[in-house]
Amino acid sequence: MMSTPEMAPRNWLMARLLLIEDDKETAEEIRAELGDRGFDVDWAANGIEGLDKARSGEAEAIIMDRLLPGMDGLTIIEALRQEGTRTPVLVLSALGAVDDRIRGLRAGGDDYLTKPFATGELIARIEALLRRPAEIRDTVLRVGPLELDLIERTAKRGDRSIDLLPREFRLLEYMMRRKDQMLTRAMLLEEVWRYKFVPQTNLVDVHMGRLRRKVDEPNEPPMIHNVRGMGFILRAPA
Amino acid sequence: MRLPEFVRTTTFRWTLAVAGAFVLCVVVLFGFVYWQTATYMTSTFDALLTGELQIIAADSPERRLTQIDNRLRNDPRRVRITGLFAADGHRITGNLESVPPGLVPDVPANATIVRLDNGGREREKVRVVARTLQGGEVLVIGRNVDEIAQIADIVRRGLALGLLPALGLALVIGWVLSSRAQDRLSEVNRKIQRIAAGDLRERLPTHGGNDPFDQLAVSVNRMLGEIETLIQEIAGIGDNIAHDLRTPLTRVRVRLERGRERAQTLEELRTVVDQSIAGLDQSLTIITALLRIAEIEHSRRLEGISEVSLVPLVREAGDLYEPIAEDKSVTLKVEATEDTTVRGDRDLLFEAIANLVDNAVKFTPAGGRVELSLLRRGGESVVRVSDTGPGIPETERDAVTKRFYRSDKSRRTEGLGLGLSLVAAIVKLHGFRFNITTGPGCAAEIVFPRAH
Repeated sequence: MMSTPEMAPRNWLMARLLLIEDDKETAEEIRAELGDRGFDVDWAANGIEGLDKARSGEAEAIIMDRLLPGMDGLTIIEALRQEGTRTPVLVLSALGAVDDRIRGLRAGGDDYLTKPFATGELIARIEALLRRPAEIRDTVLRVGPLELDLIERTAKRGDRSIDLLPREFRLLEYMMRRKDQMLTRAMLLEEVWRYKFVPQTNLVDVHMGRLRRKVDEPNEPPMIHNVRGMGFILRAPA
Repeated sequence: MRLPEFVRTTTFRWTLAVAGAFVLCVVVLFGFVYWQTATYMTSTFDALLTGELQIIAADSPERRLTQIDNRLRNDPRRVRITGLFAADGHRITGNLESVPPGLVPDVPANATIVRLDNGGREREKVRVVARTLQGGEVLVIGRNVDEIAQIADIVRRGLALGLLPALGLALVIGWVLSSRAQDRLSEVNRKIQRIAAGDLRERLPTHGGNDPFDQLAVSVNRMLGEIETLIQEIAGIGDNIAHDLRTPLTRVRVRLERGRERAQTLEELRTVVDQSIAGLDQSLTIITALLRIAEIEHSRRLEGISEVSLVPLVREAGDLYEPIAEDKSVTLKVEATEDTTVRGDRDLLFEAIANLVDNAVKFTPAGGRVELSLLRRGGESVVRVSDTGPGIPETERDAVTKRFYRSDKSRRTEGLGLGLSLVAAIVKLHGFRFNITTGPGCAAEIVFPRAH
C-alpha cells in the first residue's frame, strides 16, 4: 500500500487571503476551514469592500464569489488588473465555465471553482495559486532523483532510465513543475487533458497508476503519493 | 374641486370628445352653407341692379322718369329702391329720401337708407348702386336684402333644431364606441391579472376579426403558449433532477443511519463516512453535469470558435481512454487518417468525443471492443464510436437523440448516462448532427455536415 501522508506541507502558515463572499454562513465555513490549515483569512461581504481590501495589496491571494450583490466578481478582477494589481484570484461560482470571460480569466493565470466544491479541492487550488512560480525556463526538470529532459523527451530516476509514452510524459512534466503540491483529479483533468466534464470512469487514477508503476519501482521509496479523497502529490523521497 | 366619478372615466371623456367633434363639424357645415348662399344672392342682386342702372341711365331724361315710375309700380313686394337726384342733392323722383353717403359710382354696396313710400319714413338695409348722369343728376338703384337675413335666420333655426338630435346621436355613438373599446380593454386587463396571478392557461379573448386589437391578442396568446410550454419543460427537468438526486441521497442516508447503529470502532465509522462522502459526490456530479448541459444548451452562440482539426482530436480522445479500456480488458481501436477541419469550439468538441468514448468503455463488458473512428460518408465527416455493449433499444433511440436528459425512460436505462445528454447539447450548439444507431452494440455518431 502507498503511504498516505498528511495534507500538503504546511509551509503556507499565515499566508494572508482575502475572501469576498456575500453569504455569511459560507464565508464563515470557508474561513474556519482555511484557518485550520494555517491561513489568515480576511473577509469582505460585498464587492466594494472587497475591491478596497484587494487594492491594499495585503492579501497574497483572493477567493471571490462570482455573484456578489449588484456586481459581477469578474468586474472586480478587471478593475484590479487595470490598476496593475496582480494578486491571483480564485473565483467561486454556481455557474459553469463555458463563457468566454472565464476562459480569459484562466488564461490570465487565475482559477475558477464551481460550487459546490470539496474543501480539499479549494485548498489545493489556493496552494497552487500561491505557489505559481515564475515560469521555469530550464530544459531539465529535477525532483530528487527524478530527471525529466524536455528537449530529449527522456526521463530518469537516478541511473534508471524510464520509458514514457507521450501522455505519461505530459502528466509527469505537469507534476514535476508542481512538486510537493496537492493536485486534485479535477485539476489534472483540466490542466493536463483540458477536460472539463467529470468522467464516469476513473480516468485520472488509471493514468496515474500507469505512471506510478514506472516512476516508483517496488524497491524504491515512493515519490507519487495518493492522498485519499483528495488527489496526488509528487515529492522527493525523504 | 372633485369631479363626479363618471366624469373621470375614460368612456365619458371619449364620448365627450366625439360629441364635441361632431358639433363642431355641424356648425362649420351650416356656416359654410349660409356663407355660400349669401354670397351667391348678393352677387345676383348686384348683377340685376347694375343692369337696371345701365338701362335707365341710357334712356332720355323723359323716358327715364317713366322708367323709374314703372319700376316702382311693378313692385308688389316693395323691395325696390329707386331715386333720381339733382346735382344739388334735391330729390327729383323716387322713393329714396337722399343719396346714401360714401357711394362709389357703379360699384354696388350695402347702405342703410330712409324709404319714403312705405307709409312713412322707414329705415332699411339695402344693396344700392349709383351713377352720376350727364346732366349732373344722380341716379340710385337699390334692392332690399332682407331675404339674405331671412336665409341666415333659416339656417340658424335649422342649426338649432338639428343640432340637438345630432348632439344626442353623437353622444350615443361616442358612448357605444368608447365603452366597447373600454370593455375589451378591461376584459383583457382582467385576463392579464389572472395570468399574472399564475394561471398560465388563461388566454386573451379574440373576436375572430382582423383588427389590430385581435392581432395583438393573437400575438400575446402565442407568447403565452410558448411560456407555458417552457415552464412545463422546466418543471419536467426539475422533476427529473429531483429523481436523480433522490436515489444517491437516499442511499447515503441509509448508510449513515446503519453506520450510527452498527459501527463498533472509529475505523468502521470512518469507512461509513467515506462511503457517504462518495455518495454525496455522486449527487454533486449529477448536479454539475445537469448545470453544464443546461449552460451549453442555453448558450446562444459559440465563444471560442476556430478551425478544429478532427484527427488530433480523435487521437487524443483515444489516447486518453486507451489505458482505461486496457484495464477493463476492452479493446479500443482508433482509426483516423483522413483529416478534416470543422468550425467549432475545440474544447467542447473534445469533450463530446471523449464523452462518447467514456460511455462506450464504461458499458462494454470485459473482452468487448470499442471502435473510435473518423470516416467520410457521402461527403460528410463522421466521428463514430461503436461498442459491443448492450446497446440502446430501438424504441428509445428516438427519444434519446431528441431531448436526452429529459427523456425519463432513457435516463433510467443502464448505459445512458448524462454524458450522452452533454454530447447532444454540444452537437446541437454547433449545428452538427448526433445519431444513435446499432453497431455490434451501440453506435453513436457525430456528423459534421459539408457546410462546416
